[in-house]
Amino acid sequence: MAYPSMGEAHRRITDYLNNFSDAVSYQDVASLAQLFSFSSNSPPLLSVADALNFFQDANRLIKQSEKFSQYGEILAPLFRSLQSYRTGNLVDAYHAFEKFANAFIQEFRNWESAWALEALYVIAYEIRVLAERADRELASNGKSPEKLKGAGSFLMKVFGVLAGKGPKRVGALYVTCQLFKIYFKLGTVHLCRSVIRSIETARIFDFEEFPRRDKVTYMYYTGRLEVFNENFPAADHKLSYALTHCNPLREANIRMILKYLIPVKLSLGILPETSLLEKYNLLEYNNVVQALKRGDLRLLRHALQEHEDQFLRSGVYLVLEKLELQVYQRLVKKIYFIQKQKDPSKAHQLKLEVIVKALKWLEMDMDLDEVECIMTILIYKNLVKGYFAHKSKVVVLSKQDPFPKLNGKPVNS
Amino acid sequence: MEDSTRRRQQRRNQPSSSTSSTAPTRFRSQKLSTNPTKTTQSSNFVPRSNTITGTTRDSTRNPAHIPNWKSEANAATNKHEEETEAREDVGSIIGTCPFMCPEGERAQRERLRDLAVFERLSGDPRKTSPALAVKKFCRTISLKYVQSSDVRPLTVLEDTLNYLLNLLDSSEHPFEVIHDFIFDRTRSIRQDLSMQNIVNERAIHMYEKMVKFHVVSHQRLRGCSSSSISSLQYLNLEQLTKTLTSLYIMYEANHNNNSVYENEAQFRSFYVLLHLDSKNQQTESLSLWFRRVPSPIMKAKEMCFARQVLRLYRMGNYKRFLYTVSSEASYLQYCIIEPYVNEVRALAISYINNCCYKVHPYPLEQLSKLLMMKELDVESLCHSCGLETLTDNGENKSLPMKQTTVTAITRHIATIIIQNCPSVVGGSLYVLDVTLFF
Repeated sequence: MAYPSMGEAHRRITDYLNNFSDAVSYQDVASLAQLFSFSSNSPPLLSVADALNFFQDANRLIKQSEKFSQYGEILAPLFRSLQSYRTGNLVDAYHAFEKFANAFIQEFRNWESAWALEALYVIAYEIRVLAERADRELASNGKSPEKLKGAGSFLMKVFGVLAGKGPKRVGALYVTCQLFKIYFKLGTVHLCRSVIRSIETARIFDFEEFPRRDKVTYMYYTGRLEVFNENFPAADHKLSYALTHCNPLREANIRMILKYLIPVKLSLGILPETSLLEKYNLLEYNNVVQALKRGDLRLLRHALQEHEDQFLRSGVYLVLEKLELQVYQRLVKKIYFIQKQKDPSKAHQLKLEVIVKALKWLEMDMDLDEVECIMTILIYKNLVKGYFAHKSKVVVLSKQDPFPKLNGKPVNS
Repeated sequence: MEDSTRRRQQRRNQPSSSTSSTAPTRFRSQKLSTNPTKTTQSSNFVPRSNTITGTTRDSTRNPAHIPNWKSEANAATNKHEEETEAREDVGSIIGTCPFMCPEGERAQRERLRDLAVFERLSGDPRKTSPALAVKKFCRTISLKYVQSSDVRPLTVLEDTLNYLLNLLDSSEHPFEVIHDFIFDRTRSIRQDLSMQNIVNERAIHMYEKMVKFHVVSHQRLRGCSSSSISSLQYLNLEQLTKTLTSLYIMYEANHNNNSVYENEAQFRSFYVLLHLDSKNQQTESLSLWFRRVPSPIMKAKEMCFARQVLRLYRMGNYKRFLYTVSSEASYLQYCIIEPYVNEVRALAISYINNCCYKVHPYPLEQLSKLLMMKELDVESLCHSCGLETLTDNGENKSLPMKQTTVTAITRHIATIIIQNCPSVVGGSLYVLDVTLFF
């Protein structure tokens, strides 16, 4: 921490105040936003923070001139927050930042045009990040972490401010995405429902008007919610939208989308190339894909076990587990092809014992009854066309299209 | 009402056994300042329900501030009890009531003849005693007006709970009556616990016992036939879920205390088994819920069982499902799974009917082995599903295939089907020797 002289500190603070005031007067949102982008840790900002901590009486400077004092309610807590941030006291920094943000919103409401939206985005982002850090500080001191929850409430308020007929409404989606991030982090995902409802049903919003970046993020999160609820067609639609509209250079984002899209596509019978998995470092899915290609149940089980924690944490475990029936279908199909090669006239009759043998070879010990059960399920769910003659323990396949493809539809439940 | 009788104190969450002195991660070190309303708002470590909508200040209608102990048949008011039951942010109380029921309430209920059968001295509806009266659940309680002499301390609550659970063995009264009484009185126990913000290991054990009660009731109420059963079942399921949720929060808060893990896997498994059917999207999806469960718990035996059952149920693998349940389910787990067992059996018949060769009827003997049911019960089940059976010259019965009259099976219907065929009830996988181990 550099120790400026008193004069130097005075100068830095006054410059800052001038920058703020000018930015508002000239509607220079870029300059304005920089003034409270704490997480950027930019040297100019930090040096102002040092100056404040040294000077200790910035309020006097604010009151000195009408140019600054008109924004006194905003600037005073902003300074306090910056000071606390600099000294590493994040809980205090958060409290003050929230006060600053509230005061800013009041002023923002009065500005007719949407010139300051980018600044508002910065505030929304910063308040979330500060809250997360404040919560970490609280937790490490044995206290209950609830600043992030508070940030969520604040952002709901901001959403309310933006949800009107004017030009500011295009900012609502950005705020929504910040809220999603908060709710997902806190695990209170059910709270997403009300914002989603507002975005999707309120007449003031036209989804196409929103900035592309926000639309991608929005579809990513809502797509993930569909994955949690196993609504695969909806999940496919949303995550695919996010994928196609995502900037191809943002590989990290593409990877995040694919992480959820791949299990969805698998459930719809669509398999990715290994090269895709390699490119985006999603090789945890590789064995799952291979298992589906080969009809290798043992490999599927192994893959689920190997990456169990990871799959559980991301919430795709149950989706992948459900692929089992498709793996069985593939296995039976392979047996059929092998039989067809040996004796085409009898290929459509599959003896249960042959299937039992195949499974044994895969180290899956199942008796005739269970295999019969599985075949019954496959037939019932239209993964296999035909019928089961239980007296002779033979599956009789339909001569036409005995293994219908999923064609983008999930397996019948 | 004067609050001089109520004392505000530091949170009483002394864990009863050793704690690592170096671990700072407990969310307990809250001292209430002299301005409690401000600080308690932010210092609750057991997350409160978000639906706290304020106290019911009934002072105009109820000048003596005696809470209303109305009976709870009215399900419409259930919405509000969530809010009043939620811990209010006015600080916690230390209870001093030495009896199972506070004296004032006991006297009042004697006067009003509001005594349950178990509370009556020699059957007299006007007389009770400290050994019999148990504090009722009070819906409209406002924490601000509660006296510490009306709240029972932890030891008394433990004794009260044990007393109540012993009543389950009583054969004098029909089960619904016993259940109803214990249901209400244990709810009051939970209310006292939460008013005092007791969330330590002893509280956990009490909650575990109460969950067990609800689970057993879940199963036993199915065997009852009175007209109010379905609302009792619904309410019981509701409280089961609520109690479980509170229990999980307590587990999460106590994670440094290893002895808690002993039962956590079993009690977590109940949640999975209650949500085998994912179609109900009112509740949080299991995928989401799994994210919060600690990894060692996910891998524990009871959870693995529940996850296995979940997988088999969702796949429709009736053979393995029935086998796994019959060989590995604990009694309590079975109580929860039982309706699914019946549904799966009915579905199995429906699948088989749909997929098997038309010309050869399926022998009931084989079905009976497959579904782990007595042959007679299989026959009844088939009939209840709208399917006919055949008998040949000998005694062999069979089910013709590809019948089109099969009725759509839902779990609710399956339960009714099984209930309406008295012989089928005996087809359950467990020989129910109802010795309850609490």
